[in-house]
Amino acid sequence: MTLEDLQELSEKEQQRQSEKKHRILYCSAAGCVSCGSDKVSAALKAKVKEHALEKECEVVGTGCLGLCGEGPLVKVQSDNTLYQNVDVRSAEQIIESHIVNNKKVTSKLTDTSSPFFSSQTKIVLENCGEINSESIDEYIGAHGYQALAKAVNEMQPSGVIEEIRKSGLRGRGGAGYSTGLKWGIVSKAHGDQKYVVCNADEGDPGAFMDRSVLEGDPHRVLEGMAIAGYAVGATQGYVYCRAEYPLAIERLKLAIKQAEKMGLLGNRILESQFNFRIDIRIGAGAFVCGEETALLQSIEGKRGNPKPRPPYPSEKGLWGMPTLINNVESFANIAPIIRNGSDWFSKIGTEKSKGTKVFALAGNIRNTGLIEVPMGIPLRKIIFDIGGGTTEGTEFKAAQTGGPSGGCIPAEHLDLPVDYESLSTVGSIMGSGGLIVMDSTSKMVEVAKFFMQFCMDESCGKCIPCRVGTRHIYGLLDKISKKKATQDDMVLLEELCMMVKETSLCGLGQSAPNPVLSTLRFFRKEYEELLQPVETYHGEPGVVADFEK
Amino acid sequence: MAKITIDGKELDADPKLTIIQAARQHGIHIPHFCWHPKLSVSGNCRMCLVEVEKMPKLAIACATQVAEGMIVRTNNERVIKARNSVMEFLLINHPLDCPICDEAGECKLQDYSYKYSVGYSRFDENKVHKPKRVELGPRIVLDDERCIMCSRCIRFADEIAHQPVLIFTERGTHVVLRTFPHTVLDNPYSMNVIDLCPVGALTSKDFRFKSRVWEMANTESICTGCARGCNINIWTRNNEILRLTPRLNEDVNSYWMCDHGRLGTFKFVNSDNRIKTPMIRKEEALMEVNWDEAISQVASDLRSYKKSEIAGLGSAYATNEDNYVFRRLMKGVIGTKFVDVVPHVKEGDEDQLLIRADKTPNAVGAAAVGVTSVDASTGLEAILNGISSGAIKVLYVLEDNIAADPRVASVLSELDLLIVHSYEHNETTKLASVVLSASTYAEKNGTMTNFQRRVQRIRPAVATLEADRALGGFSMSRWDKFASPNDRWGKGPRRDARPSWRIVSGIANALGAKFKYNAVEEVFKDLAEKVEIFKGLSYAKIGNRGIALTTENVPTSLIPA
Ligand SMILES: Cc1cc2nc3c(=O)[nH]c(=O)nc-3n(C[C@H](O)[C@H](O)[C@H](O)COP(=O)(O)O)c2cc1C
Ligand code: SF4
Ligand code: SF4
Repeated sequence: MTLEDLQELSEKEQQRQSEKKHRILYCSAAGCVSCGSDKVSAALKAKVKEHALEKECEVVGTGCLGLCGEGPLVKVQSDNTLYQNVDVRSAEQIIESHIVNNKKVTSKLTDTSSPFFSSQTKIVLENCGEINSESIDEYIGAHGYQALAKAVNEMQPSGVIEEIRKSGLRGRGGAGYSTGLKWGIVSKAHGDQKYVVCNADEGDPGAFMDRSVLEGDPHRVLEGMAIAGYAVGATQGYVYCRAEYPLAIERLKLAIKQAEKMGLLGNRILESQFNFRIDIRIGAGAFVCGEETALLQSIEGKRGNPKPRPPYPSEKGLWGMPTLINNVESFANIAPIIRNGSDWFSKIGTEKSKGTKVFALAGNIRNTGLIEVPMGIPLRKIIFDIGGGTTEGTEFKAAQTGGPSGGCIPAEHLDLPVDYESLSTVGSIMGSGGLIVMDSTSKMVEVAKFFMQFCMDESCGKCIPCRVGTRHIYGLLDKISKKKATQDDMVLLEELCMMVKETSLCGLGQSAPNPVLSTLRFFRKEYEELLQPVETYHGEPGVVADFEK
Repeated sequence: MAKITIDGKELDADPKLTIIQAARQHGIHIPHFCWHPKLSVSGNCRMCLVEVEKMPKLAIACATQVAEGMIVRTNNERVIKARNSVMEFLLINHPLDCPICDEAGECKLQDYSYKYSVGYSRFDENKVHKPKRVELGPRIVLDDERCIMCSRCIRFADEIAHQPVLIFTERGTHVVLRTFPHTVLDNPYSMNVIDLCPVGALTSKDFRFKSRVWEMANTESICTGCARGCNINIWTRNNEILRLTPRLNEDVNSYWMCDHGRLGTFKFVNSDNRIKTPMIRKEEALMEVNWDEAISQVASDLRSYKKSEIAGLGSAYATNEDNYVFRRLMKGVIGTKFVDVVPHVKEGDEDQLLIRADKTPNAVGAAAVGVTSVDASTGLEAILNGISSGAIKVLYVLEDNIAADPRVASVLSELDLLIVHSYEHNETTKLASVVLSASTYAEKNGTMTNFQRRVQRIRPAVATLEADRALGGFSMSRWDKFASPNDRWGKGPRRDARPSWRIVSGIANALGAKFKYNAVEEVFKDLAEKVEIFKGLSYAKIGNRGIALTTENVPTSLIPA
């Protein structure tokens, strides 16, 4: 395969698609699959067959269409019609009415001109809802692998790194470290062998951005990894994916096989001197294994425990060799940057936070689902325009970002631009993209308790502050929520939070107190209302508080 | 060299070192649990957190490399607060069963609790309970509740013993230390994890619940299990050895010793099988006699044989001093050429870490002081042949159970007279005409020369009738010092044993020689004057870490390959 072959293939695929009168795309991501999109697709296909439309009309599975709360979703690509809550019955109607008789099925129509769609900017998700997620041809038809071809044929590795650096892309895994700088460090590090690792562990409760990308557009991630491999001088890549994502793993496996067959992965990629293989490693679903040093231990077959940094993986990673580790979404941004240039990318977003961010909208919000927005977009716009506001007209109270490592942003900060710096000024973080909306019915102590329980259960136990501290912060929150605590417990709670933050080994422990600290900062009253006056509560005689689950 | 400042003190530090290492080199102790000089950095105990100027967070001293101009504070309010909370966290779930814990008294957690903890707990929740008795291997028992998850034991098994069978399982506060399924911690060095364990989580099955550590005296000595001569401490109470532990010597054994040395080399000292006084065979049976009688009997027996009829076997278990005096008796006073040592080499039973195939502590030393044959015609084989043919009628054996080898035993029965120095009843004493009760390595002063030609000191830890604990300058516990007559401590058995050099001197003098040794120091002084390669050495120079003999003077046959 050469660059010319690739372009030829691309044009052929575009030609093939344009010859179809109708392309009907059903969402084949895990969310819609779980509410029956496979039955819907079967019904669509059966009806197409029944009406002998196979030639002019194809039915294909595609990546997440975004409006997960209203699935299964079906899209008729030719006239950009989106149907929601499709069942077998309405699927049949779509063929019989919309396709055969050109009459849209109004009862299931989604308004695609609504802000949910119009306020989004899609880079990472550009192919989700547009192409068949299991077809490499369709990915190539959408300019896939052209960035890789451009990189290995026309650019020096240092040029690739420079382009990524200039784009201003920052890691989407949470910390927001400059991707270009990281690549530069790995490329300069000495080692007989270098590795590229894609962090697809995605352990935050409620987050499914990375899963959606892998399920909907796996080649995009592979292409990004291969470009990274070329840039830093690695010949082996690993995707570390949690076992709870079987569909993502299946699609990745298929995609790797397809790419290898076409000479887009493996030896002498695109007839250059560049060799790059990708293998999948499956994690057992521990949150801490998303932490990069723990993840690398896990790939090595060891217990997934974090290690102190430095040395950073970029100097000493897998088996002691320089290792580049990036998040799925970070890799998914690479091909478009190389294809369209860093200038194009850096025009999107804010001064320090470039590009877009994918969020998983959840909680008490009308439109739950997957969205991609430009950096710097006001939180209000995400929640009220795209998200459609809170459910049932209840009052908005707070938005939680960053999951168990993040914080709650109250109504008074709704106009905050969503970028790395602004979020940290209010004690939260961008995180990997979970965004949970809470309305007036939410109890903030319970929210803090939920996340603390998560951290307590997920603490690997390697270091003492997190191992024991999270358990006792949880214990205090439990005591408070059960109205058994006093002002003294509040003092202890805050002190514990500070100490766990200050003394823990890895990011899990260091950020575990964030949800507590941020709810204390903005919703202190809710805590205080639950306290017992010191004089009246003396504890139950002879009983020590026990919060064993 | 980088200039760094720790707590206001300016120091020069090798930039390759971490803060904890650099501080240690300058005598500044930064508290730590998981860090160990010989193990990889784990960074999990969080006890060594220090403040480094210009770093936003506290840094762990064990994993932070020093750099030019670095300013470190190990004792300001922020650091102390962090340390206090680490201690508080550690103690929340700790069972605090110090009163029944073997580690108490030498426990890092206990020591640090006094030094770095606030002294009270603000938590009244139930502790997490875990198994108290988990067998990790044939010699080691784990108490999960005491474990602070420092991972030292895991790293030792992986990195030093190369038997990677230990692992943490479960998460959070439920983490426990286990061996992988179908494996046990049974490598030849497994018991070192007990010393490494900063708390009482890992205990020795052999020593468990035997003694509080402060009730024992500890004596610096050398392990006699093989030619390595690992530096050890001998721990005694009530004149009985309760355990051996390794003692740091980077030139010999680092922090380690093998399990065989630890368990297999001291029990005979305490045993009932000890020979309690000299004995002479009268009408088939060995009868107890006093030293004067034994010595004059041996002297008069020896006088009635020609020197060519007498042979002597020194001992690779005895000290340089014992062998030296023995050589003077045999070669000088008696004048026989037949002098040698029985080797005890187990081919193949050795490894890269410590264990040597030569199972004696002083083969090199015995030969170096002259207990060695001039040529094959006077060596061990010649002696055994001479006994068989009747040419040799008398054999004098220093501390060595040579009849444990059946081939030798059958030859020995041909002898007229077999004189034996022995610690215990064994195959050789069964055949002996005279048994002289010899002090063990744990009951005497002296030196051994290991396979590296390193001369190292042994010191008495167990009192005999002639060597008193107080008068002999032994290491003494409080029981040893202050036990009253109605205390049960301080009444352990004292045997009527003597160091071989003293016994041999007595016999030499009874034969008319003038061996004027009152104390072992005098023997060594004499030895150091007369034996070329020991020239210039003294006990003071040997110190407690030993000293290597210079290569030039060692006969090439003695230099190990
Ligand atoms: C407890 C913990 C969990 C993490 N989980 C993830 C995760 O699921 N996915 C991810 O990409 N990064 C995760 N990270 C961040 C990674 O350690 C690492 O910073 C990231 O993969 C780097 O990629 P990036 O530079 O592209 O963001 C986690 C960090 C911590 C401390
Ligand atoms: S902070 Fe928590 S998760 Fe991280 S190493 Fe410590 S115990 Fe493990
Ligand atoms: S058993 Fe001891 S050495 Fe091993 S991890 Fe626990 S405390 Fe550390």
